[in-house]
Amino acid sequence: MNGMNDEGISLCCCEYYDRNNERNHILACCCNCVDVDEAFESLITSRSITQQHKSGIMSTVQDRLRIPWRGGAKQVAFDAALPIFIIPVMLLLASISVWWTIFSFTTVAMFLAFIFNFLIRTIPHTKFFFVWTITSITALYIVFEFIVIPFLEILLEENIALSIFIFGFIMCWYLMKVRTKQLNNCGGDAEFGKIASRIQNCSVCQMRIPDKDHHCVWLDCCVGKHNQCLFILSLFFAEIALLYSSNLTLTSVCHPFILYKTVLLPDDCSDVYQLFELSLSFVSAVYSLFLALAIFILLLHQLLLVSLGMTTKEWSNLPLTSKFCLGLTTKRPQDQGLFKNWSSIICWAKNSRTLLNEA
Amino acid sequence: MLKNCLLAISVVLIIVSIYFPARHARHYSYILKDNISSQLKLHEPRNKLPNLKTCTYQNIILNSEDVDINSINERKSFQQPLAGGEFKPKQCTASINAAIIVPYRNRTRQLNIFLNYMHHFLQKQNIHYRIFIVDQNDTLPFNRAKMLNYGAKLAISLKYDCLILHDVDLLPLNTGNIYGCTKCPRHMSSSLDTFRYNLPYLTLFGGAVSILSQQFQEINGMSNKFYGWGAEDDNFYRRVIGNGLQPCRLPPEVSRYTMLFHNKEKANENRFKLLETLPENPETDGLNSLPHPHVIKLEHLYTHLVVS
Repeated sequence: MNGMNDEGISLCCCEYYDRNNERNHILACCCNCVDVDEAFESLITSRSITQQHKSGIMSTVQDRLRIPWRGGAKQVAFDAALPIFIIPVMLLLASISVWWTIFSFTTVAMFLAFIFNFLIRTIPHTKFFFVWTITSITALYIVFEFIVIPFLEILLEENIALSIFIFGFIMCWYLMKVRTKQLNNCGGDAEFGKIASRIQNCSVCQMRIPDKDHHCVWLDCCVGKHNQCLFILSLFFAEIALLYSSNLTLTSVCHPFILYKTVLLPDDCSDVYQLFELSLSFVSAVYSLFLALAIFILLLHQLLLVSLGMTTKEWSNLPLTSKFCLGLTTKRPQDQGLFKNWSSIICWAKNSRTLLNEA
Repeated sequence: MLKNCLLAISVVLIIVSIYFPARHARHYSYILKDNISSQLKLHEPRNKLPNLKTCTYQNIILNSEDVDINSINERKSFQQPLAGGEFKPKQCTASINAAIIVPYRNRTRQLNIFLNYMHHFLQKQNIHYRIFIVDQNDTLPFNRAKMLNYGAKLAISLKYDCLILHDVDLLPLNTGNIYGCTKCPRHMSSSLDTFRYNLPYLTLFGGAVSILSQQFQEINGMSNKFYGWGAEDDNFYRRVIGNGLQPCRLPPEVSRYTMLFHNKEKANENRFKLLETLPENPETDGLNSLPHPHVIKLEHLYTHLVVS
């Protein structure tokens, strides 16, 4: 708005070219929206709002939701920005009292269950879940380092150990992505044929994946035979890091006891809601425990599937009865026996190196 | 190039600030278990009976046991002490005589648990001890240090050689934690359960401290100016250091304590300012500057000192 007549000058960090290719400013986000005006007119004159106006409003909102960036404000996807607000608000609300904790966690759990189905159907490429993971890790780590550590009850080596687990998780995750990329850069279908029996094109990440297991929306990465070992390892690290950090936090803010002269565990958390720092640490530890529970189930499921030689997709197509029998009763065409199933995953990189180098 | 340098420097700064040792609980140096009994300051018994041996403490320290934390609320058996909560072992003559001084106000439930537990605990250690409960009977904020000064003054006048400055909500969990004085002023509660059995910072000198009466007099006791919770123990630490004394501790497994549950005390907002402005070696603020009015009552299990 304030730079309409000098188009040639480069953008300041709060300016951008909008969808009509006009220069606009972040501060003017609430000005000049024709569709909203029309919609209000319809409301006052009690006519229904047309579909055209509705979608016009939506796309204007999408267009104007931007963050200041060097060389012009950057557009952020609405669905991807959502977790950045939800997770801190959930943790802050939960730290008010025990009833707020229950309310806030159940609301978010129900919201997640709803939006999972909704987003998978409507926006399959959404970064919502990926941002959720990143935001969770960041929020939990910030609470741990800047609220729990200053209680002066955690030793330096305990902090370092936790950092190593987190680093292990992030490293495995990073390698998973790198391996998928490498694989897709390294040649045509012919080379792929030598590596894997089945190659699938993932509709979400647009990559060719050998023996695809599933696309993990939380890590925004495809899991196939080539990186399943890393996937299981990253789940393992995440599980350990979450359990360890929640144990450190809970034993700091609650009354601890020593089990069998070795492990320190919390036993009385009745006075955590008296102080904001204590309650925030406590609810973030509880959130970590929920995440740890979810990851534990996923980890067990993965271990079972690898042992059986099945993929997640095959498993989900099984009838309920054979799921109860842990899939042992069904036909498994890819099954090579327990030992071979595992060694084919663990030694995948070694077995395929020569083929990869050839390509 | 410049960009990379800045990035590298900021990463290093973040790592240093995250793993800065002072942000964490600390490991500390301590007297090894085998050397504790040689470090104890023993006193020649005053009226020694000729047919009685002098008590030794080596075995009590070396054969130390952990107390089951679930049993602390149970009713314990102990011999009825003399009036005023004084006890002398019968089978030998104690060469430790310790005054356990407990500042107190209005926590009856904790006091009952404390007395029941401590008499049972202390009678196993073959020491001559007496428990002083110093009760602040006014409406001002609680002044822990002043109460300790009152108790210490009384104990010194009753010829106790060793003072143990003890909070009413702390209970020792290891029988080897001997309630006598070492040659160095000793921070006894260095492994507290509410701190995950870790030491929050190296200069912590509160909770339970043992110090020789002579040393306590040399540093003129504690400051009387700290009302409300906090910082009086840090000031005490500075006085100890300022007078050339080096505080010490026992091994973590011996120094285990549990803290009885209570609501947080109201902290003194002014405490850090007060800590910074007070001189380290004050001639006029401490043991020698106590106004006198107080009442001494001899109860069954303790000497009750009421300060108003």
